[in-house]
Amino acid sequence: MNFVTELREGLSISWSAIRANKLRSVLTTLGIVIGIVTVTLMGTAIEGLNSAFVKSISFIGADVLYVQRVDWFPGSEKGWIDMQKRRDISLDQVRQMEKEMTLARAVAPVAISRELIKYEKRSATVMIIGSTEEYLTTSGVSVMQGRFFNESDSIGGRPFCVLGSEVATNLFPRESAIGKKVRIDQRPFEVIGVLEKQGNFMGDSLDAQAIIPLPQFNAAFLDRPDYQVQVKIKSIADLDNAKEELRSVMRRIRRVAPADPDDFGINQQDQVLSIFHRVAGTIAAVGLFITGLSLFVGGIGIMNIMFVSVAERTREIGIRKAIGAKRRTILLQFLIEAASICLMGGAIAIGIAWPLTLVMKKFLPASMSLTVVSIALLVSLVTGVVSGFFPAWRAARMNPVDALRNE
Amino acid sequence: MRFRKLTFLAAEIRESFFMAMNAVAAHKLRSALTLLGVLVGVFSIIVIMTAMRVLQSDVEKNIAGLGSQTFLIRKTPAISFSRPEGWEKVRRRKNITLQQGMRFEEKMTLARSIGLQSSFWAGAIETAHKKTAPDVRLVGATPGSFPARNWTLHEGRLLLDVDIDGARDICLLGNDLATNLYNNVSPVGERLKIDGINYTVVGVLEPNGSSTRGNQDNFAVIPITTGMSRYGRNWRSLEILVQAADEANYDACVEQAQGVLRAIRKVPPGQDNDFEIASNDSMIAQFQSFTLAVRIGAAVISSIALLAAGVGIMNIMLVSVTERTREIGIRRAIGAKKRNIMAQFIMEAIVLCELGGVVGVVLGILGGNATAYFLKLTPVIPVDWIVIGLVICSIVGIVFGTYPAWKAANLDPIESLRYE
Repeated sequence: MNFVTELREGLSISWSAIRANKLRSVLTTLGIVIGIVTVTLMGTAIEGLNSAFVKSISFIGADVLYVQRVDWFPGSEKGWIDMQKRRDISLDQVRQMEKEMTLARAVAPVAISRELIKYEKRSATVMIIGSTEEYLTTSGVSVMQGRFFNESDSIGGRPFCVLGSEVATNLFPRESAIGKKVRIDQRPFEVIGVLEKQGNFMGDSLDAQAIIPLPQFNAAFLDRPDYQVQVKIKSIADLDNAKEELRSVMRRIRRVAPADPDDFGINQQDQVLSIFHRVAGTIAAVGLFITGLSLFVGGIGIMNIMFVSVAERTREIGIRKAIGAKRRTILLQFLIEAASICLMGGAIAIGIAWPLTLVMKKFLPASMSLTVVSIALLVSLVTGVVSGFFPAWRAARMNPVDALRNE
Repeated sequence: MRFRKLTFLAAEIRESFFMAMNAVAAHKLRSALTLLGVLVGVFSIIVIMTAMRVLQSDVEKNIAGLGSQTFLIRKTPAISFSRPEGWEKVRRRKNITLQQGMRFEEKMTLARSIGLQSSFWAGAIETAHKKTAPDVRLVGATPGSFPARNWTLHEGRLLLDVDIDGARDICLLGNDLATNLYNNVSPVGERLKIDGINYTVVGVLEPNGSSTRGNQDNFAVIPITTGMSRYGRNWRSLEILVQAADEANYDACVEQAQGVLRAIRKVPPGQDNDFEIASNDSMIAQFQSFTLAVRIGAAVISSIALLAAGVGIMNIMLVSVTERTREIGIRRAIGAKKRNIMAQFIMEAIVLCELGGVVGVVLGILGGNATAYFLKLTPVIPVDWIVIGLVICSIVGIVFGTYPAWKAANLDPIESLRYE
C-alpha cells in the first residue's frame, strides 16, 4: 500500500471517527478555536500597535540626523546629568559644519522656544521654531496653504511665519490665515503659509507650532540659543558614513580632544525605534505567552481526547493490525485525526477572528494579513500533530494479540 | 429534622467526594491531562496578576514619598499621563512663591507642620577626599518639610527657623550619601562642596530604602532660602507640604488649606483653584484609575486559557459519563436519586478543577514573583487573587460539569443497565 492511499484511507477513517462522536469533536475543536482566536487577535493587535507607533514617529525622518547638545537616550541618570554640562551648539559651529559636510543634502539649524501667539482675541502658547528655508527639506513638513519662506526671507530675516495646522485652525476658525498679521510675544509676524496636519506624538500635538526665520527668532526671543541641527543626508544608504563624517566634523569644530567622549549627541529615528522595539518586544512576548497558554490548554484537550479515542478503539486497531496494517499506517491514521480536528479549529478560528479584527481596526491600524492567517493555520496543524503524537504512538505500538483480546 | 437533613447532605458530599477521588485515581493519565489544563489556566491568571501586583505595589509605595496625613500643594498636577483638556490654562497659572508659602504657613491653624520644598540641582558632591557620582539631588526645605516627608534624624540636628531666615550654608545628608562620603566617620560639622559652594553638614537622615525609581537616600537638603538665592527665584514654583494634626482633622485641614491659599493667591470666588492638591491616597487612586483598563484587559486575556480548560473538562466528563453508564445504571437501580448522580459528577468536576487550581495558584505566585526577584522588588502574595482563582476554579467545574452530570442523571436506568 503506498503512502498516498494510506493518507486517503487515514483521512476517511478519521472523518468518520470525527462524525461518530459529534459532541466530543465539537468540544475538542472549540478548545482549539479559543486558543487560535486569542493568539491571532493578540498577534494582530501587537502588529497594529507597532505600525501605529512607526507611523507616529514618521515625522522624525529615517534619513535625517539630529545633532544636539544632548543624546535622546542617555541610558542613566548620571549620563543625563553629565550632559547638562555640555557646551551649547552655536550658530557658527552649524555654519562651519554645513560647509564641511559632503554627504549632507540639507542642514537646518533649529532653535526652539515656547511663546504666546495671538490673533485679535484668540491666543495660545505654542512651540516657536526658528530655522532656515532648509527646514522644509530636513523636517519633511509639507505646506498646505501659501508657501514656506525662501532663502532671501530667511537670510533677510523678514517677519514671516508659517503656522502648524492646529494653530491656524484655532486662531483663524472661519477665515484663511494667509496674509494675516499675528503677534508672537507682542511682535507682529505675517502668516505666509500653513502646514499640512502632522498628528500626535506621545500625546503632544505636532501641529501646535509656528516656524519663523532664524534671524527673527534671534532678535525676538533668544540671541544665542542652544541649537539643534537637522542634517538630511544625500541617500539613506550612506547613513552610517554620514554619521561618522558628521561625528568627526563636529568633534573637530568643537575641539574635542582625541581621547575624550563626544560632547554632543547625534540622534536618529533608529534610536527611538529600537527603544520602542525593546519595550514592545517585552509586551508582545508576555501577550503571546499568555494567549499561547490557552492554545496549549486546547492542545492538552486534544491529547486527552485522542488517548480516550485510542483506548476505545483498541479492538479496531487490533483488527487492522491483524489483517496487515503497519505501525506507520496506524500512527498516520491517528495523527491525521488530531491534525484535521485542529485544522478545522484553525479555520473556524480565523472565521471568528476576522470580524473581530474589523472591530479592532476602529482603534488601531490592524489588519489580518495573509501571513497571520497562514501562521494561524500552521500553528493549529502543528498543535494537532504534536498533541496527537503520543496517543497515536501508543496506538501504533499496541500488540495486536493483546488489542484483539481487549474487551 | 433540619439537623438530620444537614448530616444527610454532609454524608452525600463526603461520599461523592470519595467517589470522585477514586474516579480521578482510576484514570491517572486522563485526570493528569485534565488537571494540567486547569493548572495552566489558573497559572496564567495568577502569574499575570501577581506580576502586576508586584509592579503596582512598588509604584504605589514610592509614588509620593509623603508621610501619613500629609498632602502636597503644587502649581501643576503631580502625575499626568497625557495633556488633559485645559492644559493651556494650567500652564499659565502663577508660580507658588516663597512669600505665598510663608503667608500660608502663618495662616494655617489646623496643620501640625507645614513645609516648603523645591529641588534645585543634581550633580557631584565633593569633600576634601572624595567625590560622588554626579547623581546626587539637592533639595531645598524648611523645618516643617521633615515630618511631612517622613524624614527622621539619624544624627546631628534638623533645619531650624534661623537657618531659613539667615539662608545659611548648611546641609543635611541622606543616609547613603553620608556613608558614601564619610564611611564610618560622623559627618556632622564637616565641610563639603556642592556645585562649587561650601556647606557645613549639620545632620544625617535615617535611610528610606530604594526602589525602581532609584536610591531614595542619595540627596542633600539645604535651607530653601539658601537654594533660592543661589539657583534663582523667578521661574520657580515651590511645593507646599502640609501635615494635618490627626486623622480626624485631615479633611478640615485640606479644606482650610484651599481657602487660605485661594485668599493668598487672590482667586475670585466661583473660579477653580489655580493649584493642585495631592496626597498619597489621591495619587494612588489616580494611578489606579489610569491603569484600570490595563488591569481589566490583563484579567480578561489571562482567563481565556481557563475557558479552554473548562471546555476540556466538559469533554472528558462526557467521556467519563459514557464509560460509566453501567455504574450509573446500577446506582440508580439500587436507589440513588437523580440528585445523587448529579452531585457525584459535579463533585468530580470540582475535584479535578481544584486539584489543578491549587497547583496552578502556587506556580502562578512563584512565577509572578520571579519579576520581583529579577527587578529586585518586594515579593507579594495576592491573597485576593488566590481566593478569586480558587473560586473561579470551582465555578468552572460547576459550569462545565453540569451538562455531563445532567446527562448522567437523566440516563434511563434500564437502558443503562443494558448498556455494553
